[in-house]
Amino acid sequence: MHTQANGSGRQQRRRLALWLGWLAVLGLAGSMWSAAAQDLPPEVLEAQTKRIQAIERVKPAVVAVFDRGRKGGGSGVLIDERGYALTNYHVVEPTGPFMQCGLPDGVLYDAVLVGIDKVGDVALIKLLPKQPGQKFPTAPLGDSDKVKIGDWAMSMGNPFLLAVDFAPTVTYGLVSGTNRWQFPQGELLEYTDCIQVDMSINPGNSGGPLFNMDGEIIGINGRISPKRGRVNSGAGYAISSNQIKNFLGHLYGGLDMDHASLGATVRSEGEDGEFARMVVQEVLDGTDVARRGLEPEDELVAFAGRPMGSVNQYKNVLGIYPEGWRLPLTYRRNNEKREVLVRLQPLRAQAKEPPAKQGPGPIIGKQPAPPPDPELAKLYKAKKGFANYYFNELERDRVLAALAKHGDFATLTGSWSLAVDVQLKKTKRPGKLELRQRGPDGDPIVLYSLGAGVEYDLEPLKDQSIREKQDPPGSGGLLMAMYVYRRLLTLGAKGFEGGFVYGGFEPAYPVTGDAYPPKHWKDQRVDCDVIKATHIDAVSKFYFDRKDGKLIGLEMSLARDEDPCEVYFSDYRPVNGRQFPHRFEVRRGMDRFAVLTVQQATLGSAQEGN
Amino acid sequence: VLLVLGGLVLAVLLLSGTSPPGHTQEAFTAVAESVNRKLVKVYGSGGFQGIASGGTGVLVSSQGHILTVATQMLDTRDLRVHLWDGRRLKAEVVVIEPELDLALLKIRPPDNLPLEPLEHFDISQAAQQPLAKPGDWVLAISNMFQVATREEPMSVQRGVIAAYGKLPIQRGYTEAPFAGEVYVIDAVTNNPGAAGGALVNRKGQLLGLIGRELRNRQTETWINYAIPVQAAVKVDEDGKDKLVRAVDLVELGVQGKYRPAVVTKRREGKGAYTGIVLVPSPVERTPPYIEDVLPGSPAALAKLRPDDSDRLCRWRAGQHRQSVQRDRPPHRAGHRATARGPARQPHRHRGLADDRAARCAAATRRAAATRYAAARVYPQAIEERHPVHATID
Repeated sequence: MHTQANGSGRQQRRRLALWLGWLAVLGLAGSMWSAAAQDLPPEVLEAQTKRIQAIERVKPAVVAVFDRGRKGGGSGVLIDERGYALTNYHVVEPTGPFMQCGLPDGVLYDAVLVGIDKVGDVALIKLLPKQPGQKFPTAPLGDSDKVKIGDWAMSMGNPFLLAVDFAPTVTYGLVSGTNRWQFPQGELLEYTDCIQVDMSINPGNSGGPLFNMDGEIIGINGRISPKRGRVNSGAGYAISSNQIKNFLGHLYGGLDMDHASLGATVRSEGEDGEFARMVVQEVLDGTDVARRGLEPEDELVAFAGRPMGSVNQYKNVLGIYPEGWRLPLTYRRNNEKREVLVRLQPLRAQAKEPPAKQGPGPIIGKQPAPPPDPELAKLYKAKKGFANYYFNELERDRVLAALAKHGDFATLTGSWSLAVDVQLKKTKRPGKLELRQRGPDGDPIVLYSLGAGVEYDLEPLKDQSIREKQDPPGSGGLLMAMYVYRRLLTLGAKGFEGGFVYGGFEPAYPVTGDAYPPKHWKDQRVDCDVIKATHIDAVSKFYFDRKDGKLIGLEMSLARDEDPCEVYFSDYRPVNGRQFPHRFEVRRGMDRFAVLTVQQATLGSAQEGN
Repeated sequence: VLLVLGGLVLAVLLLSGTSPPGHTQEAFTAVAESVNRKLVKVYGSGGFQGIASGGTGVLVSSQGHILTVATQMLDTRDLRVHLWDGRRLKAEVVVIEPELDLALLKIRPPDNLPLEPLEHFDISQAAQQPLAKPGDWVLAISNMFQVATREEPMSVQRGVIAAYGKLPIQRGYTEAPFAGEVYVIDAVTNNPGAAGGALVNRKGQLLGLIGRELRNRQTETWINYAIPVQAAVKVDEDGKDKLVRAVDLVELGVQGKYRPAVVTKRREGKGAYTGIVLVPSPVERTPPYIEDVLPGSPAALAKLRPDDSDRLCRWRAGQHRQSVQRDRPPHRAGHRATARGPARQPHRHRGLADDRAARCAAATRRAAATRYAAARVYPQAIEERHPVHATID
C-alpha cells in the first residue's frame, strides 16, 4: 500500500491519509476500549499465567510445621520425595524431635527431626508416609548465586498460622539485596550471605521457602529486620539455597553441625581511607592457616573464589561453609599473591545454647508434646553431637553400600602386595608396598621399600611413637594410611572401634595429573561424601565421590595439630574382579610426597594365608 | 501524511505502553543498579537507643553534592559517605532547609583534589516532570536498616503510590516534619537508615526522597512517605509570601547561594516560646535537658532553673533542632502529654532510677506551668537572641 500511495497522485494520497487517520483513531479507541474491559496485553497475561503455574507447581511441596500439640509452629518445604523437608532450626527448637506437618492437600503427617544447623538456622525434618512407598511432592533447590537485586521472588508459608487447611499463603515481591549479613544471636542464628526480600514475611513464615519465578527454592525465610515488633518491616531475610547445599549432607546425616572460622583474627585496615583491606592480625596456634604459613599483616584477597575486601564479605564468605571443609585461600604478601588450601576451624569452641527466639520466629506452643507412638519413636536415636543418630546410620550404610558396588573386599584378608613405581619429587624408582598378614586373625605389618636399603615397616598395634607411625618421613604416615585403607575395605565399620560415622558433604582436591601444584585449586575440587573413622590413634576421613560412590581419597591424622597424610586413589582397574586403584597420590600439607603407580597388585584372600 | 502517521505511531505507543515492564516478570535489576550508583550511604551521629546513625543520600551534582533528609544524623563534624563503588569519603553540610526537611551536603574530596565526575540525578530536570499518580508503581532504594556498607548495593523495594497529599500534623499523634505535599507509599519504605533514599519510577527516574520514620502514636501505625522533587512550601518571610522549593535548594545550594527561609510569623499561633534552652541534641531522642533559662522569659518567671538532671517531656523528639527552633511551635498548654510524663512510662526511659522518675514528674509539672505562660510570648525574640546551635523548646 505504501508503494502504491507513493506512486500515485495527490488525491490518492489524501485518501490514504484519511484511511490511515481512521485506522489511528480506531486503534486509539480500540486500546481505550480494551483497557476499559480489563483486557490486558498478552505479555502481562503471559507473565501472570507463568506466575500462577509456578505457584501451582510448587505449592504442594510447602509444609506447615507444628509442634505435636499444634499450638505453635512455622513453615517448611519438601525437597525429597521420601519426605525430607527444610525448615528453620528456630522452628524445630521448641518442638523437640517430633513434630506434625500439614500439606496443602489438607493431610497431616507425623514428622521427625533429621539434622540441624544451629548457627545457620536450618533444620531438616522427615515426614512419614501414610503408606509405604508414598512419594511426596517436592520443589527443586535453585542456584542462589544467580539471584540478583531487583529479581521477582515469592515466599510461601503459614504466616500467623492462618491456614487451618494447611494451604500456604503466597507473598510476592522483589529481591531487595543479596549477600547480606545479619548479626548472630550469641553464637547461633547468624545469617550470612542471605537474600533480602521486600514481600511480607511474618511470624509463622519461618522455615518456609523463597522461590524464584521458575519455582526453584532460592532460600529459606527465617528473619526480618525488627521494627517495634516482629511483623513485616519491608525487610525479610532468607538463608541462601547455596549455603544450605553445603550443609545438606550434614543435615541428611542427622548431625548437629558447626560453622567455621578461619583460625586467624582479621582486622579491617584503612577504614579511614577510601578503600578497606582485610589484614591478618593474629594466627592461632595449631590451626591449618598457621601450618599453611599465613602470617600477621598478610592481606586476605579471596576465599573459595570470592573476594574478601570488607568485614561483611569476610563474614559472608566464611559463614556459608561447615567446619572442617578445605577451601582455597588467596592472600597477598609483599605484593605477591599466594593460594593455599585451608581447613576451616570450628566456630563454637564450647557450645552455649541460648533459646532461639527472634523474628519472624515460630509461634511457640505452651502445651507439652504428647508422646509419639512407638513406630515413630523408632526413628529417633539421641547421641551427643547428633540431632538424630538414626539418620546418620542410614547415610553411613548408603555410602558403604555404594562402596561395595565397586567390589567386595571382605574376604581379602590375606597379604596384599603392590609392586609400584614411586615418583618422588625429583626421582622415580621402583618400590614395593606390602600389607603382610601373619596368621588368619592377626593384624598385618605394613612394609614399604624403595630398594637400596630404604625400607620402612610398621606394626600399627605395637609401635607406639608417633614418629614411627608417621613413616616414611614427610608423608605424615603413609604406612598407617594404607593400613586404615585396608581396614575400611576389608572390615568396614567393624574395623574402627573408635567411631565410624557419616560426616556429610566435603570437597576433596585430588590432583590426577603430573603437574603440581595446580594453577587453581578450585579446578581440582570433587564433591564427596565423608566417613569419619577412628582406629587406635589414627583419625581418618574417607572421601567418596558423590557422583558414583567411588572412594577417591583418605586423610589420616595421628596428631591433632599436625597435617594429616592424604592419599588420593585413581586409575581404578579390575584386580580379581574388583575395582582397585592403580594410582596413589600421597600428599601432606601443600606438598606432594609421592605418586605411586601400581605395576602389579596381589590381594590375597584369607584362605591363602600369607 | 506525516502527521497522520505520527498519530498511528502514537496509537501503537499507547498500546505497547499498557504493558510496562513491572507488570510482566521482567526484573528491576538494571534500574536498581543504575539508581544505586547515584546514591550514597551517609554516616553521622546516633547509633544508640535504636536511633539510626546512618541514612541515605541522592547525588545531585557531578562534584558530589548530595540531597538528603535533614535528620539529627547530620549533627556531627564527622560526616562520612560511602559511594556505590565502596569509596569512603568525608562530607559536610552545605545548607539545611527545615521548611523542606531537606539538607544539601557536599563530599570533601581527599586532599581537596577534584573528584572524577560522579553519576547523579538532575534535580532541575526531574522537577519539571509531571507528578506520579496514585496507583503508579515505584521503587524505593535506600540503605534501610543500614544493611549495606561500602560497595554493597542498597536495598530495593517495590511499592505503589497510595496517595499524594499533605501529612497529618497532629501534635502528640503524628508529628510530620514536612508541611508540604508528599507521596504516600504502600510499602514499608521508611525504616531506620532509609531517610534520603530515592523513590523512582519503573524507568529509574527520580520522583522524590524517602522521608523519616513516621508513626501515628494513637494507632501505632507507620506512614511511609517521600518528599517529591517538586516539593514547594509557601512560608511567610517578613510579611511576604515566599515559595521554598527543593529545586532551588539544589540549584542555588550547589552554587553556595541558597539562603534558608527565615520564617518570621508562626503558623496558626498554636504554640509559643518558653525561654527554655535545651542541651544540644546530638541524637533524635536526647532527653530534653535544660541548659539555660533566658532571663526574663516565661520559663524564668515560672522559676524554672537550669538543672541537667531535670527532664521535660519528650514529645518534641523526631525533629532536627533547627526545625524545632525555627518553625515548630512549642507545645500547647495543658496538653495531655504532660500527664504522660516519664514517671508513667518507665519502658521508654530504661535505666532511669526511680528517684529520677519522681524528679521527672516534678519537672513535668513545672514544665506544664511554663508552657502555659509561654503561650503568650512573641516568638521573634528567639531568632534574635539565639544562635542556631541551641535548641529551644
